[in-house]
Amino acid sequence: MISKELNEQITHIGPGTDAGAVLRRYWQPAALSDELDGRTRVPVNLLGERLVLMRDDTGVLVLATRQAREDEPAVSYPDEDDIVVVPDGPVYPVSERKGMIFAWLGPGAPPEFPNFDCFRAPDSHVFAFKGLWECNWLQALEIGIDPAHASFLHRFLQDEDPDDSYGKQFRDKAADLDMPMTRVLREYPRPDIAVEETDFGLKITALRHLNGGLTHVRVTNQIFPEAICIPMSREMTITQWHVPVDDETCYWYSLFTSFDKPVDKPLMRAQRLKEHRLPDYAPLKNRDNDYCYDPDEQARVTYTGMGLDINVHDQWAVEGMGAIQDRTQEHLGRSDVAIIRYRRMLRQAIAALHDNREDALPMRGSGDPTAIVGPLSNDAIAETADWAAASTRTDLARRAACPWDATV
Amino acid sequence: MSETLSEPQPGQWVRIATVAELDRPRPLIPVTLGNRRLVLFRDEEGQLGLIGRHCPHRGADLCFGRLEDNGLRCPFHGWHFDRTGQCVEQPAEPEGSQMYKAIRVPMIPVAEGGGLILAYTGDGEPAAPPDFTAFSDDVAG
Repeated sequence: MISKELNEQITHIGPGTDAGAVLRRYWQPAALSDELDGRTRVPVNLLGERLVLMRDDTGVLVLATRQAREDEPAVSYPDEDDIVVVPDGPVYPVSERKGMIFAWLGPGAPPEFPNFDCFRAPDSHVFAFKGLWECNWLQALEIGIDPAHASFLHRFLQDEDPDDSYGKQFRDKAADLDMPMTRVLREYPRPDIAVEETDFGLKITALRHLNGGLTHVRVTNQIFPEAICIPMSREMTITQWHVPVDDETCYWYSLFTSFDKPVDKPLMRAQRLKEHRLPDYAPLKNRDNDYCYDPDEQARVTYTGMGLDINVHDQWAVEGMGAIQDRTQEHLGRSDVAIIRYRRMLRQAIAALHDNREDALPMRGSGDPTAIVGPLSNDAIAETADWAAASTRTDLARRAACPWDATV
Repeated sequence: MSETLSEPQPGQWVRIATVAELDRPRPLIPVTLGNRRLVLFRDEEGQLGLIGRHCPHRGADLCFGRLEDNGLRCPFHGWHFDRTGQCVEQPAEPEGSQMYKAIRVPMIPVAEGGGLILAYTGDGEPAAPPDFTAFSDDVAG
């Protein structure tokens, strides 16, 4: 449990707030490049600010402030003809990367991007998508740094054929083992979780000790301040930002990065557009229709009764906490060790900004951000005594075979 | 999933549901009592539980919980609660962890009779069982 005051300090993100000041020291996903197809002006609702993304006559992207009524809904997508730029309002730098448009809402000159795999891979090997969640960004992030929940929330009571798994989370076989990931997660629900601070955030290692002296090692990452990098399949990773629209609404923005074949973008996009509406990328299963909850399915097929899309499970978990999770009522356990470490980092960053020590923030010091590579993000199976080396070996083997330069 | 009732007076029995509303394959409904968000369910012994709607772990919505093992299980991390709101299992915590013993969801006393389910709005245990006949008009209505 934490105090009401602390909960507000680490969740509120508007201009002038403590957590908002931390987020503004990092590039923020603002839109998908797809949103500009056939439009000249795209509304952007970001960090409590009302903005508009435009291409000027020379094709250069501009992110300016737009007029908005006080009572405009959090996610507002006015027609482009109705968008009016505030003449003297803030204009922010933008950078288009891999189908996503990042914005710099902070003070001073924006920093270089780190050389994460999602930015190093060629465009052909990265697919971008986003989706709306109606809750605060921090609870959206915290579910992504909680390795235990996958054994419950995403439990499938039966295993699907991994050959039908393209583009889906947790449907592959675990690396080097003829066992579907769904079965590993289901049968081994008490991972040992280790957390290490890194130059980019946190490395989170979840160990599931299997029968026969083997251990399943799953490495996920927290990329400060509001992203995660996790394995999706043997071929792909997901780098996902949880970007505040306002205090009670956020978007997840994902870059799916392939270490093998070019990404089948039409298929990936079609899979996800079936679950979302345009233009605001709101999920079709949501609080208003009880996430299409089916008690019979919950009894026989899935743990939640909300279908096979794990994004919906996560969305239910975080939206059901309320607009901003009341952390004065929470009881964190051992499985929440990465959440506890993350909140400590966030509070340290807030304290550093109070002291004008911006260079104490992760990736904002004197070091070269472009020297930061990786992160290691994968599943491996190993002899229990060898799990640490095996995790690195599996990562290096994938990088060595990668058609683009993924060397670390 | 919401059913809002008017602000109850303290120390009273109030009607929260009919027995028929729970007569379904998954006997669970959300209940809002004043400003308290609750979940009402029937366990495998046929007994009723009226407990807080948010899991005390990280606040997930127990109205979508798994009604199994004679209680209600949160789908987020499998924390399991009996009808008194006591946590009885935390399957993601380390073997041998005793943390669950200190975890409890708020519980509201309930009584069932005359086709109605009543909840007690006072602090502590009710002094006397309710007079269901005082609520009997509600059944027809």
